[in-house]
Formats: sequence, structure tokens, C-alpha cells
Amino acid sequence: MTLDPIVITLIEAVVKTIVVIVALLTAFAYLTLVERYVIAKIQSRIGPNRVGAIGGIALLQPIADAIKMIFKEDFWPSQADKIIYTIAPGIAVGTALLAWAVMPLHPSTEIFGYRVDFFIADVNIGVLYLLAIGSLGVYGIVLGGWGSNNKYSMLGALRSTAQMISYEVSLGLALVGVLMISGSLSLVTIVEKQSFIWNVVWQPLGFIIYFIAAVAEVNRLPFDLPEAETELVAGYQTEYSSLKFALFYMAEYINMITVSAIAATMFLGGYQGPFGILPGVHWLVLKIMFFIFVMMWMRGTLPRFRYDQLMRFGWQVLLPLALANIFITALVMLVVGA
Amino acid sequence: MSVTAPVAPPNTPNYNDPQIVAEQIKTKYPDAVESSSAQGIVVQSDQLREVARYLHDELAFDYLNNVTSVDWQDRFEVVYNLTSLERGGAPITLKVNAARENPSVPSLVPVFRGADFQEREVYDLMGIRFEGHPNLRRILLWDGFEGYPLRKDYKEPYYEEEKKPFGSRWDKGHHVIAEDRNPWHDNVQYPSNFDAVAYKPPRDQIQVIDAAQAAAMRLRTDKIVLNFGPQHPSTHGVLRLRVTLEGETVRGVEPIVGYLHRNHDKIGERNTFVGNMPYTDRLDYFTSMANNLAYALTVEKLLGIKPPERAEYIRVIMAELTRWQNHAVALGFIYNDLGAFYTPLIYAMEERELILDLFEATAGSRMMCNYMRFGGVARDVTDDFIAKCKYLVNERLPRRTDELEAYMVGNEIFHSRAKNIGVLPRDLAINYSTAGPVLRASGVKYDIRRAEPYSIYDRFDFEIPTGTTGDLYDRFIVRVAEMRESLKILKQALDQFPAGEIMTGKKNYQVRVPKGEAYGRGENPKGELGFYVVSDGTANPYRYHVRGPSFINLTALNDMCVGYKIADMIVILGSLDIVMGEVDR
Repeated sequence: MTLDPIVITLIEAVVKTIVVIVALLTAFAYLTLVERYVIAKIQSRIGPNRVGAIGGIALLQPIADAIKMIFKEDFWPSQADKIIYTIAPGIAVGTALLAWAVMPLHPSTEIFGYRVDFFIADVNIGVLYLLAIGSLGVYGIVLGGWGSNNKYSMLGALRSTAQMISYEVSLGLALVGVLMISGSLSLVTIVEKQSFIWNVVWQPLGFIIYFIAAVAEVNRLPFDLPEAETELVAGYQTEYSSLKFALFYMAEYINMITVSAIAATMFLGGYQGPFGILPGVHWLVLKIMFFIFVMMWMRGTLPRFRYDQLMRFGWQVLLPLALANIFITALVMLVVGA
Repeated sequence: MSVTAPVAPPNTPNYNDPQIVAEQIKTKYPDAVESSSAQGIVVQSDQLREVARYLHDELAFDYLNNVTSVDWQDRFEVVYNLTSLERGGAPITLKVNAARENPSVPSLVPVFRGADFQEREVYDLMGIRFEGHPNLRRILLWDGFEGYPLRKDYKEPYYEEEKKPFGSRWDKGHHVIAEDRNPWHDNVQYPSNFDAVAYKPPRDQIQVIDAAQAAAMRLRTDKIVLNFGPQHPSTHGVLRLRVTLEGETVRGVEPIVGYLHRNHDKIGERNTFVGNMPYTDRLDYFTSMANNLAYALTVEKLLGIKPPERAEYIRVIMAELTRWQNHAVALGFIYNDLGAFYTPLIYAMEERELILDLFEATAGSRMMCNYMRFGGVARDVTDDFIAKCKYLVNERLPRRTDELEAYMVGNEIFHSRAKNIGVLPRDLAINYSTAGPVLRASGVKYDIRRAEPYSIYDRFDFEIPTGTTGDLYDRFIVRVAEMRESLKILKQALDQFPAGEIMTGKKNYQVRVPKGEAYGRGENPKGELGFYVVSDGTANPYRYHVRGPSFINLTALNDMCVGYKIADMIVILGSLDIVMGEVDR
């Protein structure tokens, strides 16, 4: 029996989507555990070591956390805008997951006679798509902060809007250098072109700008102003509880994975090993883990910027640098002849 | 109002003697002084403000330590303690009498802004009106409260007896529960015809800005009033700050305290003198040893006794260990307020645990030490204690101080966030009666351990670190420097540590304290912790008042925060290093 190629493509897409989503959600769950361990080590503590502990590592802790979250009271503020309040966490998670549609995870291989591509879609404007989806993520936060009808949430949401818009610009511009070198907006092409030397070698400044802007984009310390605990209680998520709170949390971690994956793809050769050694998804995972570790490390080390300092840094330091990076790249390409 | 820098007159007589000060006042205001003695100068109520201004401007009594009041049944007495920060020495006492009916005295806020919260407290608990006070409202109790609990004729809910020790609850052969003895049979005493459900605070007492009112006042509607706390991660307890915000910029801060109020003063009056010692632990629960010390010093002043050498050394060691751990944790908390994820705090806590181990080994308790006694300390320290303490002081803590400083003061983000933020100028710091590191960070070289040396602090060689601008950064590094000075004192104390008795006389559950009154104080890590104790010769204090440094430092909060960002406000509050147990008492 032969299947219609369209059906096969459809099945393939559905299977791949499910696999990616499940992998991401599992990764989110265990990242919370990893973060707790990393922070614990930084703070000379032990970290969780009770739930399903094997060798002192609480492997079932994320599951216990999830069960706890589910059974928490789902609290509705009486003055909240019910619809917006409800859909906001959904938007946050949805946009976070959508970014993975274009992420190349592994070189294409033959499985059971079929050629399988390890990405859900090879869009020829992949990078643009990623940036667009990334910008949508702010809606989850803004609507959540607005819908809660709480002053802290409101302040957090406003901060978040300003912050994400400011850093979005530098983030996008930092990637332009890579696009100029690669000559393509498709992520698959960008990765393939890095099979010998990673882009970070040509684009060190772009890489640093991207990483700083990415940390700001995912609201991690020292840029965690939208949810600044000591100032705004929890910012936009102050009024959220139970699963809705978990969804915001999930969005934050998936965004962390996403920006790390983009950094790995654009600058560190994605699934390519160093100098083309053994390309495969494990390289991508390793690179993502490296970035996530650095983010956790920063969280355990640094205090927070103040809001006006953050804005000044974004517009007066990062943006000119990103523009200069594009200019220098263009100049060098013109001189060398690309 | 005048905040002119005080100029010491030439050929300064000894102004630490109230008699001489009284004579000086008489030269300017002949009718102002009613009487004067070593206990204090009693001033005519109508000339109080003039006298205070004279003392402030001419005699350089620029610092108002303490305001409190005593109910003498036939009259009220408001007590002021004044110091000159330049001259140092013991504070002089200024008293003014008020009638039993509708008591009222002039407010000293125009002269000393530090009187603000303290006068409100006196009004709140004793019911004495301060004419000319800008904001005379209840502060520790809620606005609808009826009665003035520190008056001698006030009986609180669950009142049992006037003084401890209370009689047996089993004296009739069966247990009598306290609730049954309560004259009101209810937990809270409401005013007559009071409806708790329908109660709304009067408009003039709470500034509720609603839309209609805002329109009528032509207020800019982009200002929001935000209630920070009482449940908030970084208000250091149940403190509420009513903050007026314009975007992210702070336009006004009003601390609202009292959520932890338990009327420590009244409890103290019911207690016996010794029985009060554990209650002082609960004031500032980070520094219970230092609280004990200040209270013991005050009562020893009344008793006229001195502890033996060894006890003095133990006291100093305990107080300085307390100072080190308090500052370390305070710095960690400031970093938390700056947004760090607990790491510096936990590093500080790690060391604090070791110090608390020492406390536990000696006093039996880690935080609520209840260790000092009048004329000594409760238990002797062991050789093991001394060995461990020497290890900490000579090896571990200096290293850790350097480490903490390198981690925290060296941070670039910290510099950009702390410099020139929350500036409290020198004049204002003095006028607001701020104390401790907050005062010193503003450039005032004032430390009670040097200005009026108590215990054996005059034997040690140590510096008083001061700041220059009085900003957040200064308050931070002054604390780091003080940690070093504490270690210096500890080193010397451990080297000189003598053998001998730890208690003058024998241990006693009931001390008879001779009639009299005393204002005793100690340089707590948070500032000047003062106790004003009046004894009528019985086993219980007639009046017992605590001057909490955290409480009075809060007075200056508004001036420090206005114009800065909301994120700065949190750190400024953290840099005051308040503990609500002491603020609310």
C-alpha cells in the first residue's frame, strides 16, 4: 500500500510537531531542576534531593512540582478582565513554541527509505519568522499584566513592553551580520554554510550583542525587570496561580531554550560539530545547554539593572554597536569581495 | 526650619551637666525652667519650643535621641533626651509637664524633625497632643482605636493583674482562663457604638484619591498611589509603604507601621525587671545580644553596679559578633533588594550560622539569646568557645569579609545603582535623629562606643568609619568597614580575655531597683538603641520605653526616596536595615 505523498508529509509534520513539543516541555520541566542545582551549587547549598532521588539528584522533582501546580487553587482576581487574563498565558506559551517550527535540529537522514528532514518547516525567511514570533511573545506578558488589573502587574507589563521593544531592535540587527555572510534567511542554509567555520569567528561582536539582547528578551537577570521580585512582587505574573502561572513559567524557559537555539544556530553552527565533526542533534543540545548554563550562572551572580539604566544601555550602547557591526561587516565584505 | 550647623561657643562649659545647661537656659529665658536636677531639666510647656531651639542653635544640642512620656497619675510628663554630636557624652534630659485632662505640649518637629514619629507614638499610646505637629495621627495602633494604652488606668483585653508575677490561675482549685477575667470579654476593645463592618477611616486621615476627588483637585491623573506591603517580598517584614508614583519615579513615601505592634512598653511595665530581658531579644531579632546589653546597661545605671571584668569582655565579644553577623546579613539583603538572587545573602548567612553556633553553645539559643543579666551574664563561656571564636575572628571572618567586599563592592552594576542614590545630607541626617551606619554614612563621626563609652569600649583601639555623601554606596561601605572594626575589637578582646567571675553578687530572679529613672543606650548594629526606664522601687519598672533605631531611621525615608525610581526606593529601604520587631514594638 502506498500513501499519497501529501498524507505522508502531513503525518510527518504532525509527528515532528508532537515530538518537538514533548521534547520542549520535558526540557522545560528538567531545566527547572537543573537551574535549582546550578543555583544551589553557586550558593553553596545542596539543592533538591528528596523526590525520587537517585544519587542525590531528585529526578522526580519536576513531576512533583507539576502535580503541585495543577492542584493549586486557580485564583481569579475579582476585578480582572476574565478573557484577557485567561488567554495571556496561552499566548505566551504558544508564541514560545511556534518559534521551533523553523529550527533545524539535525542533518537530514534516510529512515526506512524515506528522507527525513529534522525540522518542521524550511521557510526561506526563517530568521524573519523567528524575530516576528519572538516579538509576539510580549503580548502574553502585556495582556497578562493588563488583564490582572493590578498595579504591580501593570508596572511589570509596561516595563516589559518597553524593554522587549528596545532590545528586539538590537537583537535583530545583531543577526543581520550573519545574514550578510550567509546570504540567506533560511536557517537550514545558514547552518549548512557553517560546516567548516562557525559564524562566531566572523561575528564576535554580533554574537555578544545578540546574547546580551537575548538575555534581556527572555527577562532573565540582570534584565529581569518585568518580574522584578523585590520591586514588583512578581510583575506581570503577580495575580496568576496554578496552571496559568505554570504556563508563564513554561514560556520563560522555552524562550530561554529558543534564544539559546538561535544563538547556537546562527553563531555556533547549529547541529554542526566543530570543523564538521559528527554533525547531529547532540551538538545542538550541548550548545543550547551551554547558553542556558551561562544564563543561570548570571542569575546566581548579578544584581539587577535599574529600569532607566536598562533603557539607556539598550538604546545608547547596544543599538549603535549593532549598527557599527553591520557597517564593519559590509565594509569587510566589500573589501575582501566575499 | 533651621538646620544650621551648630557652632560650639568659646570656653564651653560642661554642657553634659543638666544644672549648667539649666543655668544657661535661665540667662536667655528666665521663666522657662521650672526646676532642674541631675535627673533633668523641667521646662515650662509654653516655652518648650523656644528652649529647644535655643539648645539646638546656641548650645549645639543638635540631636534628639528620644521622646517619651510618663504617666504620673496626676500629670503627664514628656521626656526629651538631647545630645550634642560634636561634644558627645551622656544625653541631657528635658522634661515638660502636661495636665491629666486634655494633655497638650508644643511639638518639637519644627526644631527636630526626628521628633515626628516619636511624638506620634507618644500621642498614640499616651494621648498627649503635640500642638503644631504636621501629621498628628496614630502610628502604631489603628486609626479607630479608642483609649491610650500606656496610661496607667488603661486595662488591656485579657488583663489579669497590674504586675507580674501574676497570681496562680489555680488558686480556687480550678483553672481560671484569662479570657474570663477580661473586663470586656472580647479580644478587641471597640469604641462604643462602633460598627467594624461599616467603619471607614475619616477622609482627612487617609488620603484616598479617587477619580472624582482627583478631578476636583486637578490632580495629574498619571500619579498612582501604590501600597507597598504589608505583604511584599522586600519590605523586610510587615511594613506598608504608601508610595505615590509618577511612572517609575517616586513622588512620596509614607511608611505605615504597626502591623507587628504588641505594645512592648506596656508588657515591659507588667514584667519584672529581669523578666523583661527575653522580651528585648524580640525587638531586633537579629541582634538580641546587643539588645540585652543595652537593657542591662540601663538597669545597671539605676542599680549602680558594674559587672566583673570577665563579664564585660564576654559582653563586648557577644555584641561585636552580633554586629558582624548583622552587617553581613544586612549587606546580603541590600543585594537582594538590588535584585541579586540570594547568593550574597546566603554567603553571609553561612558565616552567620557559625556565629549563631557560638551563641547557642553559650546562651542556649541561636537568636533569642536572653543572655545578659544585671551585673553580668547568665552563663560562662567555655574554653572551646574561646578557641572557636579565635579561629573565626583571626582566620575565617577576616577572609570572608574580604571576599564579601570583593564580590559586592567590586560589582559594576552595584556601583551604577548605588552611587548618588538615596542621598541623606549630613544636616538632615542629624535633624532626623537617624542613628548608626545611616548617620555615619552621612559623614557624622558619631558612635556611642566612643562618644559615651559604655562597658569597656574605651580600652579598645578602633576607628569610626564614616561616609562622605550619605548615599546608598556610603551606607554600604560603612557597614563593610564596621565589620572590619568589629573584628579588630574582637581580636583585642580575645587577646586580653581575663579569668574570673561572670556576675556581680548572686543570681537573682527579683532585683529591687532603687527609685529613679535612667536613659541608657548602646550602639546597636542598627543604631542607637535606647531604654528609658523609670523605677518606683518595686520589682517592676514603672515606665519602660524603647528607642528603636529602626523606627526612628524610618522617619527619614521619605526625604531619601523622593525623586528616585521605585527600584531605588526598595534598596534605600534596605540600606536603612530595619527590623519590624523593633519598628512596631
